[in-house]
Amino acid sequence: MKKMNQNKYYLLLAFFVCMAVSHKAIAQNDSVKPVSIVTLRYFNINNNMQYLLLKSQSKLGRVFTPQENKSYEIYLDSSTQNNLIGKVQTDEKGLAKAILPPSLAAQWNASPQHTFIVKEGDEEVLSDYTITKAKISLDTTTVDGVKSITASVMQLNNKNEWIPVPDVEITIGVKRMNSILPAGDEPTYTTDSTGTATAELKKDSLPGDENGNYLLAAKVEDNDVVGNLRFEETVPWGVRTEIDRSFFKQRTLWSTRFRTPFWLLFTVYGIVIGVWGTLIYLVFNLIKIGKIGKNTVEQKAEIVV
Amino acid sequence: MEKSISLTSEQITQDLLPQKFGKRGMAWTTILVVIALFGLYAYYRQLKYGLIVTHMRDYVSWGIYISNFVFFVAISLVGSLITAIFRLTNVKWRTPLTRISEIIAVSAIVFAALIIVVDMGRPERFMNLFLHGRIQSPILWDVIVISTYFFISILLLYFPLLPDLKILLKFKEKTGKRLNRLYRFQGSFWKGTKAQFQLSDKSISILCVLIIPVAFSIHTVTSWLFATTYRPGWDSTNFGAYFISGAFLAGSGAVVVAMYVFRRYYHLEKYITEMHFEKMGRIVVMLALVYFYFNVNEYLTPAFKMKESEHGLLKQLFVGSYAPMFWFAILVGMIIPIIVLIFKKGRKPLPMFIIGIMVVVGAWFKRYIIVTPTLLHPFLPMQNVPTSFMSYFPSWEEWAIDAGSLAGALLVITFFVRIYPIIPIHETITEQNEKDESK
Repeated sequence: MKKMNQNKYYLLLAFFVCMAVSHKAIAQNDSVKPVSIVTLRYFNINNNMQYLLLKSQSKLGRVFTPQENKSYEIYLDSSTQNNLIGKVQTDEKGLAKAILPPSLAAQWNASPQHTFIVKEGDEEVLSDYTITKAKISLDTTTVDGVKSITASVMQLNNKNEWIPVPDVEITIGVKRMNSILPAGDEPTYTTDSTGTATAELKKDSLPGDENGNYLLAAKVEDNDVVGNLRFEETVPWGVRTEIDRSFFKQRTLWSTRFRTPFWLLFTVYGIVIGVWGTLIYLVFNLIKIGKIGKNTVEQKAEIVV
Repeated sequence: MEKSISLTSEQITQDLLPQKFGKRGMAWTTILVVIALFGLYAYYRQLKYGLIVTHMRDYVSWGIYISNFVFFVAISLVGSLITAIFRLTNVKWRTPLTRISEIIAVSAIVFAALIIVVDMGRPERFMNLFLHGRIQSPILWDVIVISTYFFISILLLYFPLLPDLKILLKFKEKTGKRLNRLYRFQGSFWKGTKAQFQLSDKSISILCVLIIPVAFSIHTVTSWLFATTYRPGWDSTNFGAYFISGAFLAGSGAVVVAMYVFRRYYHLEKYITEMHFEKMGRIVVMLALVYFYFNVNEYLTPAFKMKESEHGLLKQLFVGSYAPMFWFAILVGMIIPIIVLIFKKGRKPLPMFIIGIMVVVGAWFKRYIIVTPTLLHPFLPMQNVPTSFMSYFPSWEEWAIDAGSLAGALLVITFFVRIYPIIPIHETITEQNEKDESK
């Protein structure tokens, strides 16, 4: 029994040694060649603003490290100077952003599908990122007090017509801070053959602004065909929020000079008047001393005369 | 203890009348004028090119100008100690020291106010402090309290000077026509009547009572400029008392230095005696102990907790790049004076003079330590800022302006001593007469 126990520990030790050695071997193997990975994402916000987000990382073993201060050129469809979207440099997170310039508007409008090319110096590091122009629209209905949000995802075809995009995963909800609070129980929905997905608003009594407005939002993330789409629309479905602005009317130590607290005013002016009043009294004493002196001179003068 | 020597009124008057500068006096004055003019030139450059000539940037926005301001305010506090507190507590030996301490207070407070204007960068906007000032801001409290303290100090200097002006008017040949005209303008109305003395004594007593809270306020409010700003090293409820104790020590050190210089240069050994050094030595050691106690409070409790925000600052002060200056200020400004002055031999004039200089120099560096390192340790880390923002060493313009202000303050004292008796003549004669009568 004792020997069995001993063997058990030897086996365990051997296992950990093997694991450690093999891990080191893998790490050594990987560390020989750090691989540079560049990815590109297309964003369309409210069917209006469009931009590209480039991410540059180096892969060493299983570790991804952002590549800072790396310069890239991003092109639209072909890597000619006329098609240059912009020259970008990555930040400390390895990210760089490029906005589609107005000079490429004609070229952008000419086709429903575009390919983006990324070059680092003379080398093409990405040439297969293709997106199809698409948009999201939102429709709201209220039936028997139940509020529903229907999102439609449409893409442009070669005949320049908007056609529905089925089987797209879409998030539908209410914009809260920087994310979307799902409207229903499901975190995401999938569009049907008509390119629509409907979510029932289950979250009542969400706070809105002073008029009860808040933003409904729908987004498609990293779709292979349409990229990243986001659409927002204001609806008066929220609970009115009374903003307490009385703070600015209060007399506090940190408010403007016209709203000084009364206790401070009385204290400061009380002290100032008290001290300076005494000082003025002392100046009068000085004047009195002067007058006494003058009278003494006059008296003496009278005596002399 | 020295034996008290009986002096006649004539002898006292002759001894204490203001004297013309000798060769050393002229050299001293010339050096101060040159330094002050150089400071003015540096200030002209600052006005012309803006605050960019300084090395103050976004983080260190209070550099040696503010250190110097706090130093001057500290020195000025001595006026209330020697004149007011000693008078109210009926300390007899104070007489030869009152005017010395008052003129130190006046010159220091004048240059404290001026150095703030220098720090503002745009002096033409000074009036905006009053036109658009918020009474909630400690900066405005400081402006009010400094101007009040200046006015009280001037009155406290002027009232006891009136009987001396009458004496000075009698020595037209010795003092010269110009000075005689000045004395007549300032004090010809003083005839020494009983009513005048009554009013004068009453006014001086009121001033002595008034100056103590105002003097405490001036330094407390100055400390609040820091303590009400949420920064590592300044976030303390102890700051008012800490600043006041330091101010009393710095001011007393300055008085000791002035006592020694005037005694030696004007041969005032009969008036500023070894007894005065002995007494002042005891006061300095007591004040140094109190200030040291507050320093222990100020550094030990945060060092014990070592909050992350305080850690960087304290490490830099204790063992980092500011350690030499920090330990210099502690050792030279407090510990060595305490050790030396505990012994009777240490309270002799020359050791006292050296200790006085050490206290004053230590006090200046202590203010620098309070202001600058804290500003280099903000709560949020410094990121994406130019390298020049991350460190601070004053530019030559800053040094020149600071040196100029110090020279200016010394010039005020120097010219005052040239024009007026630095030891009150009338009061000394009265005391001598009282002594003689009591014998």
